[in-house]
Amino acid sequence: MNHGRGNMLEHIRQWFERRRVGGAGALDPAHLPTPKSAGPQALSECRLIVLDLETTGLNPSKDQVIAIGAVAISGNVIPLGDQFDLILRRPELDISETVLIHGIGPEALTRGHETEDALLYLLDWMDGDPVLAYHSAFDQKFLEKTFKQVLGYTQRHTWIDVAELLPAFFPEARTGGHSLDHWADRFGLEVSARHHAAADAMVTAELTLVTLNKAHKTGVSTLAELTEKLRYYRRLKNMHRI
Amino acid sequence: MVAASQDTPRPQNTRAIMTFLREHAPFSSMDDTHLAHFAEHASLRFYANDDAVLSPEDGPVRRFYIVKQGRIRGERHNEKDDKTETTFEISQGECFPLAALIGERPTRTLHRAAGDTFCLSIEHDAFVTLFSDSDSFRDFCLRGVSSLLDQVNQRIQSGAMASMGSSNSLDTPLERYALRNPIVCSTDLPVRKAVARMHENNVGSIIVTDDERHPIGIFTLRDLRTMVAEEKGPLDTPIGQVMTRDPICLTSHSDAFEAAMLMAEHHFAHLCVVDENHRLIGVVSERDLFSLQRVDLVNLARTIGTASHLRTLVSLRTDVSRLVDAMLAHGADSGQVVKIITTLNDVTVRRVLELNIKKHDPGIPFTWLTFGSEGRQEQTLLTDQDNGILFETPEGMTEDQVREKLLPFAEQVNKELAECGFTLCKGNIMASNPKLCLSGKEWDDWFIRFIDASTPQNLVYSSIFLDMRAVFGPMEPLDALFDKVLTRIRKNPLFQKMLAGNAITRRPPLTMFRNFRYAPDGKKRNLDLKRQGLAPFVEAVRVFALANGVEEANTLERMDRLATKEVFDPKDANAWKEAYSLIQAIRMRAHQEMLERGEPLSNYINPDDLNPLDRRILRESFRQAQRLQQKLEVTYQL
Repeated sequence: MNHGRGNMLEHIRQWFERRRVGGAGALDPAHLPTPKSAGPQALSECRLIVLDLETTGLNPSKDQVIAIGAVAISGNVIPLGDQFDLILRRPELDISETVLIHGIGPEALTRGHETEDALLYLLDWMDGDPVLAYHSAFDQKFLEKTFKQVLGYTQRHTWIDVAELLPAFFPEARTGGHSLDHWADRFGLEVSARHHAAADAMVTAELTLVTLNKAHKTGVSTLAELTEKLRYYRRLKNMHRI
Repeated sequence: MVAASQDTPRPQNTRAIMTFLREHAPFSSMDDTHLAHFAEHASLRFYANDDAVLSPEDGPVRRFYIVKQGRIRGERHNEKDDKTETTFEISQGECFPLAALIGERPTRTLHRAAGDTFCLSIEHDAFVTLFSDSDSFRDFCLRGVSSLLDQVNQRIQSGAMASMGSSNSLDTPLERYALRNPIVCSTDLPVRKAVARMHENNVGSIIVTDDERHPIGIFTLRDLRTMVAEEKGPLDTPIGQVMTRDPICLTSHSDAFEAAMLMAEHHFAHLCVVDENHRLIGVVSERDLFSLQRVDLVNLARTIGTASHLRTLVSLRTDVSRLVDAMLAHGADSGQVVKIITTLNDVTVRRVLELNIKKHDPGIPFTWLTFGSEGRQEQTLLTDQDNGILFETPEGMTEDQVREKLLPFAEQVNKELAECGFTLCKGNIMASNPKLCLSGKEWDDWFIRFIDASTPQNLVYSSIFLDMRAVFGPMEPLDALFDKVLTRIRKNPLFQKMLAGNAITRRPPLTMFRNFRYAPDGKKRNLDLKRQGLAPFVEAVRVFALANGVEEANTLERMDRLATKEVFDPKDANAWKEAYSLIQAIRMRAHQEMLERGEPLSNYINPDDLNPLDRRILRESFRQAQRLQQKLEVTYQL
């Protein structure tokens, strides 16, 4: 499936078209992409997913995901044609089954989408690529729980925490704090809409670009080397703590 | 492609990029569908400080970039002195590399990031789509920043136009205004028949030509009036005897502005338009040029030049301001407008002098000199008196005796000029100052001391006394004096170097990061367009002009001459002229706005009040001033 250019909504529609043709509603997690591990992929070529979730609260066991925003980084570039920006509709308000059958336009799709379809599309769109997020543990818990609950999907993606990546590569940066806003300020970035999943994902991705540039200059060139660097940084931090 | 319906909510990040684009030209004037096309096909890239973004080695350019954050600088290697120099800077909202992309060739300049920089870019295909679908985008790409300059000028014009309601442009070639098939006759036609012919054709002039259609004279209704009133002869006199000989001619390539300036200077209402062989092809009247204006240049100049009382002159000053409005509306650029103001000021000064001579003639031949901005013909509505007198000492008189006669006269003139709106000079640089009312010999001594014993105080005066011009009286004494001055400066590299050093003391108001630096003496966040913006150009250009024997005092003319003399690269000269003119244009527009609000005129503006386009152009203009100063530094090893 080509994620390269064009409009995401169009992709979604086409994707659902194909899925319907192949047997409407048929769920086959076995045919969903398999997550890739952090191996010898060159950072300058591979595709990374940068994601942010909006949830009803902070407790993964109780709260629900309501919006998913994500952008991709391919070969150190953020292509705006390859992004994900959906608000999930709660099941009791859901009309999308019928909407889909009638082949409804993108408007309804963005206004809110039936969770199951949205998540299937997200998995397909992610294509098993490594996922980056700011304080990724939070997003990972929510997303894995949701995948499992709704789709019964339990495969684990490779997750990388941008909140860890930044200080690992910019140890001297004086940010005055550890939040996304602090780092954004440090690099003079603006968040177009605060606490909008897609906008937060975008600024996280911009920070990731800055980091990848630095990584390249310090000889870190593959995904494996990147995760190794993080492990080293974590150990170092723990040592200081003791 | 995009589901193009207007009500489609676009993803947040696409909308954010469209919002960003909308803040910058040319995107600000593009349709939303085109902006959406850009945003959906864009990719965002990051460059750390000093990273190469585009390089000549990369081959033909395939992408179009816009700076989202940070800066890009152009770097070119100078073979001559093996140095790398920054040729341009591109900041937020600006695009690159237009020429290379359109020309499908590699860039000639290495583009490097200056500081952490993010760029949005689209690939060739998306660029081509936008290029063919959006007129404003195409116009921008083909004409680059100059299309933006047009927008600025258009806005200046439309502002002034609102009160004028006319759309003729003074840049229009003269042939568009010229009346084809003008009414002509030969020298032997009786006046009565010539006037009948004018009457039949409802025109105010008839051109007298020879057999080969060369214009040899002109006869106008005004001439008829004089002829009748002064009983110069009967109406059957051959027209050849009463016509004005050698009428003023311009070729059809000249523009309306030149015609207007000639008419204003000579107080003529008609001009002949001729071809390369000097054969008549048309006639232009002031009515053709200014058909829709309430105040016109020629008429105003004539009214000032013939005013019989000081109070008439004073009352005419408001018309000058209205005329400036009209000129801007008619497409005159800032260089043209300052010349018009100078022309009218000259006419006023001359008339004040004439009226005073009529009342009380000091009986001594003298040349009235103007210095500084009036000397450079660069006056705006806010203007000081900077003048002096150069006199011939009559036989049997001492110079002090001459001064005794001239000084009271000069004082009266200075006073009356002040009433006409020429502010008295605070530094007493006025003809009534005994130190500035001198004979040719005294002026020459004065300049020798000025040049040979240059003190820092002297250098401050260089901007005044080295830009001088004669406004009234015989020109030859000043020409002779200035000749000597120029030779002396050319032979004195030390003086040149001191002048150069003085010229770079006033830096353009830009910080290292291309932000505006505000005037130290002004209000907070104010820029002094005259002292910080124009002065760096005027001062640097003066040094080059004097060092290279350029006699002109006008800054734009000096730059032209320096380009002809190959002191300036023609491209540089153009860039500097354009930059200088734009600062002047923004200053004049500010003056007009102050007049409208009834505020006293000042040269301060707050760049925050400008729209982003003007701000960007102002910044680029200041950067050009920096480049000019760099040239001065290199030339004089400062």
